Amino acid sequence: MRLVLFAIASFAALSAAATTAAVSGPKAAQVMHDRHEGMETIGKAFKALHREFDSASPFAPTVKSSSGQIASLSKQASGWFPAGTGPEVAKTGAKPEIWLPQNKADFAAKLSAFQKASLALNAASVGGDMNAAKARYADLGGTCKACHDKYRSEMHH
Amino acid sequence: MHNHHTDWHIWSGCAILTLLIFRLLWGLVGSSTARFANFVRGPRAIGDYLRGRWTGIGHNPLGALSVITIFLALAIQVGLGLVAEDEDGLYTGPLYRLVSIDTSDRARDFHELWFNIILGLIVLHVAAIIFYRLRGQHLTKPMITGRASLDPDVTPMRRGKWWAALLCLAVGIGVTRWIIAGAPPFSS
Repeated sequence: MRLVLFAIASFAALSAAATTAAVSGPKAAQVMHDRHEGMETIGKAFKALHREFDSASPFAPTVKSSSGQIASLSKQASGWFPAGTGPEVAKTGAKPEIWLPQNKADFAAKLSAFQKASLALNAASVGGDMNAAKARYADLGGTCKACHDKYRSEMHH
Repeated sequence: MHNHHTDWHIWSGCAILTLLIFRLLWGLVGSSTARFANFVRGPRAIGDYLRGRWTGIGHNPLGALSVITIFLALAIQVGLGLVAEDEDGLYTGPLYRLVSIDTSDRARDFHELWFNIILGLIVLHVAAIIFYRLRGQHLTKPMITGRASLDPDVTPMRRGKWWAALLCLAVGIGVTRWIIAGAPPFSS
């Protein structure tokens, strides 16, 4: 048990470390751009899934492609939140709280929960069991909401 | 969403939808002063009213414009909300499946913008009530109680039937429930 906790703690620490190397200038602008586009694409894919799983017979190819899209973008998300990419730099929905020292572990844990849920959804979708995929999709939505409620501000386009 | 009470947001929208349906029906079969046919008038009646030559009861010809405007503005707001979805695709209006993802997203943006129109109408509406009140005319009390002191030559209001009100409300709730269910069979 202790070993598992230690493993989880080090994983969280590692993920946190991945987000700590600060960026600035064009590099920061690039990260923020990628993050915005990535989140938007994830949102679109999630909406497509919402529509499929709300219907009596979800269209498996759409479920598969949208899940795959989210899974691959979720991996990139590890690099989306370096210090120096907050609202003090440019317009973003990312709240400054993300980079507060006391939130670092929590944010890393939420990001990693999102990534795990994305991979689990993708595995279920590839497996073709739409009921299982629907359950994983609901889990994934929970991880989006958990993080957005706390770390995303209202964005007006 | 500015806060995290999206389900409350959606339920209050559904409640407003029920009220709109009720008011629409009540405007056809309700009390004499509630019926659209009795109070929605043309520009000439509005002109007469502004020159002080109007002797009716209930909504005056100018106030009728306000009734129609507020009703339509709310209907538009509810309509946009019914097909909208939130930024994350976690919450959706009950009829979101009738439109594409892009339309749904655009509906959300308009829903947000249109709320400012509604705020403006609320301010105007309350200001008008205060304006009349300062000039010695109570608008809200007769509206709630159905009683007002009238000149002897004015025809008093014909009250609506209680069962007609109940029926209008039942239809409002029924139609709203059908819409909450996704308006089968249109959106499955």
